[in-house]
Amino acid sequence: MHHTDHQPDGPAPRPVPLGEHLAAPTTRAAMAVQQEALYAAREYLRGQGCTELLPPLVGPVTDPGGRGAKALDVDYYGQPYKLMTSAILYKQASLRGFDRLFYIAPNVRVEPPETAGTGRHLVEFHQIDVELAGASRDEAMEVAAGLLTHVVRHVLDTVPDVLAGLGRDPLAFTELLTGKFDTCTHAEAVDRLRGGGHPQSADAEIDWVGEETLSREADRPFFVTDYPKGSRGFYDREDPDRPGVLRNFDLIAHGGYGELVSGSEREADYATIVTRMRESGENPAKYDWYLKLAREGIPTSAGFGMGVQRLVRFLTGLDALWQVSAYPKLPGVVAP
Amino acid sequence: MTGVRAPGFPERQVRARARHGTAEVFPPADRYGAQLFGAGDDAEPVDPRLLDDLDAARLVPPVFVPQRLEKLIELAREPVHDDVDLATTVGGFRSPLPVYVSAFGSTRIAAGDAGLAASRQAGRLGVPMVIGENLVPVGGYRRAADGAGASILARLRAYAEQCPPDAGGVVVQQSTEDADSEVWNLVYSDPSVRDLVDSGRLGFELKLGQGAKPGLGGMTVVDAADAARLADRFAVRDVLGGGGWLRCASPGTFTEEIVRQQVRFMRNNFPRARVWVKFHPGRDVAHAAATAWRAGADAVTVDGAQGGTGWAPRAFLDQVGLPLGECLRRIGRPEGCLLASGRIWEGGRAVKALALGATAVGLGRAALLAVDTDAESGLVRLVRALALEAQLLISALGRYTVDALTPDDLWWPGTPTTTAAPAAPAGPTVDSRTDRIGGRA
Repeated sequence: MHHTDHQPDGPAPRPVPLGEHLAAPTTRAAMAVQQEALYAAREYLRGQGCTELLPPLVGPVTDPGGRGAKALDVDYYGQPYKLMTSAILYKQASLRGFDRLFYIAPNVRVEPPETAGTGRHLVEFHQIDVELAGASRDEAMEVAAGLLTHVVRHVLDTVPDVLAGLGRDPLAFTELLTGKFDTCTHAEAVDRLRGGGHPQSADAEIDWVGEETLSREADRPFFVTDYPKGSRGFYDREDPDRPGVLRNFDLIAHGGYGELVSGSEREADYATIVTRMRESGENPAKYDWYLKLAREGIPTSAGFGMGVQRLVRFLTGLDALWQVSAYPKLPGVVAP
Repeated sequence: MTGVRAPGFPERQVRARARHGTAEVFPPADRYGAQLFGAGDDAEPVDPRLLDDLDAARLVPPVFVPQRLEKLIELAREPVHDDVDLATTVGGFRSPLPVYVSAFGSTRIAAGDAGLAASRQAGRLGVPMVIGENLVPVGGYRRAADGAGASILARLRAYAEQCPPDAGGVVVQQSTEDADSEVWNLVYSDPSVRDLVDSGRLGFELKLGQGAKPGLGGMTVVDAADAARLADRFAVRDVLGGGGWLRCASPGTFTEEIVRQQVRFMRNNFPRARVWVKFHPGRDVAHAAATAWRAGADAVTVDGAQGGTGWAPRAFLDQVGLPLGECLRRIGRPEGCLLASGRIWEGGRAVKALALGATAVGLGRAALLAVDTDAESGLVRLVRALALEAQLLISALGRYTVDALTPDDLWWPGTPTTTAAPAAPAGPTVDSRTDRIGGRA
């Protein structure tokens, strides 16, 4: 084992006032790493034939998401609009003109206060959001793994001194750079967690503690596939051969850093989308524009979102996600 | 009092209990020794169409009471009604009584100060409370719109301030229209509700229907201005004449898979909140209840056709839906926590529902009338009277906990008398508990 384990057992560092935070050497180092990571991400995705689009910020609906996060409401000429929690619906719509596309997308999710202590949640964050027409889950996973590997290699090459200054051991990435990531199913992950005494629900998302446990046990990033329906949004495609199982994946970083990527094949069939909306408690009427497009026909696709701040935290080895955002907003904390 | 009326409901008796509490469990004390009482003396004539099968059933205390012997041994004295322990767990919340306060809905009667008064009193009692659907799109979350009364947040706070820290819980409904306002996300991510979340006393109720209008969504009457304001979220129709508009919420579309997945979705998204599911008295209520429990619901509420505080078309009030007793019989022995509501206000109907498998009973109209009678203590008095009556009845049945009740404690008029098994006086003690449900075997 070469990697340096992340050790959040001690008291996590607490956010400081914004002025102080912006002037902190740690923040400057994190931004230097972020800049290289974004450069490398764009380079890699353009090499994959993707076009970068700039995402919308508000709309009549947004990703209903999950895990109790709330979309922020905006009064838009008297209409109730939402700030984007993710631009997933727009990504799918964009496939009409762009076979392969990506955003570096800002997202706002009013996360429940209980997530403030995970070290992995911010209210404002960014995603490298990728969608690939006609792609299978395997292809999307391959692109996600390639993206992560490319970014890590680039950052190690360009700012080794910054990582050294932060105390991040480059040996932590040795296994990752081989590019061979393991895959386990959600059911296997649940079994492993239960075997270790963690009461993980088989019907739900891997919980924060469970995710960190699995992450800590690994020496390189790994995929978790086949999440159960009910744990994810209506747009993740249900496996036609295995009802109740989604053709989706997460990419979990090793060392306790947890989930970096969520992705899936998408539902493109109109009737299936409406039914899945009801299954997730959504009112189809509010998805009017999206359902019109779906009725006319949306290409099949697979895609994913990689959290920029989570990626940078993983690269820098910093303790908490707020340390790698220039303007951090922690769940439940009113901050400028 | 605001002049709220509840035709067909024993309004006078409920208001009397809200004023005088446990004294109303008995005939007037000043007539003791001066008047002879018999069956029906105290009864007020009730429209027989409004009585259901549960009203017709009788509680039938046995002569032989082995569980009283167990209690006698435990106490080393003869047990009395005070020895009945009513404490229970209601949909994941500890409650001193097998009672909770049902949602009042968005109906105008409930939206005023009554909602706040009910919250305070339910909190004082430490019994769980449900906050109704459609309050956010109609009234707003933090601040209620003009005339809409207390907001959800005000009611949550009023409850939490009064409630003992180790009891009760608040359950917030969300309907299809509420989903637009993301009520659950709003509540779950609100720092001011954190205490309830941290102490495990927040729940969410998925509402599939209600007793008063099975198969329809919520209905209220609004004026033309409100109708225009609400038209983007509700169907508002000019069918009433006289300036009033009908505002209809949709009932929502449900299949077995949709219910299963919505329950899982709630558990996934709100891992620290309890999940309740409420059904109207549909003919497939047993299948629906089993689906919800198996998906992980902490409680299933069945609202019998006698339920509902809201406003409903006449045809639905008179002719639609299963009565509560039939719902409970169809469900049989519950796989999980079963809650029953529908015209419950006193101990008799409550104990009958408990004997048919319910873990607790909900007070809807009765709670509303009680807080309307006395905003300070009406509901507290009504519930204490119900609790005393329940203790009297359960002890008479030779039981000392709520879950010891069985369907054998009920007799249904018109059912053939079963001949008792040959007496075996010297034989082993027969456990009086049975899996047989319905009393019609």
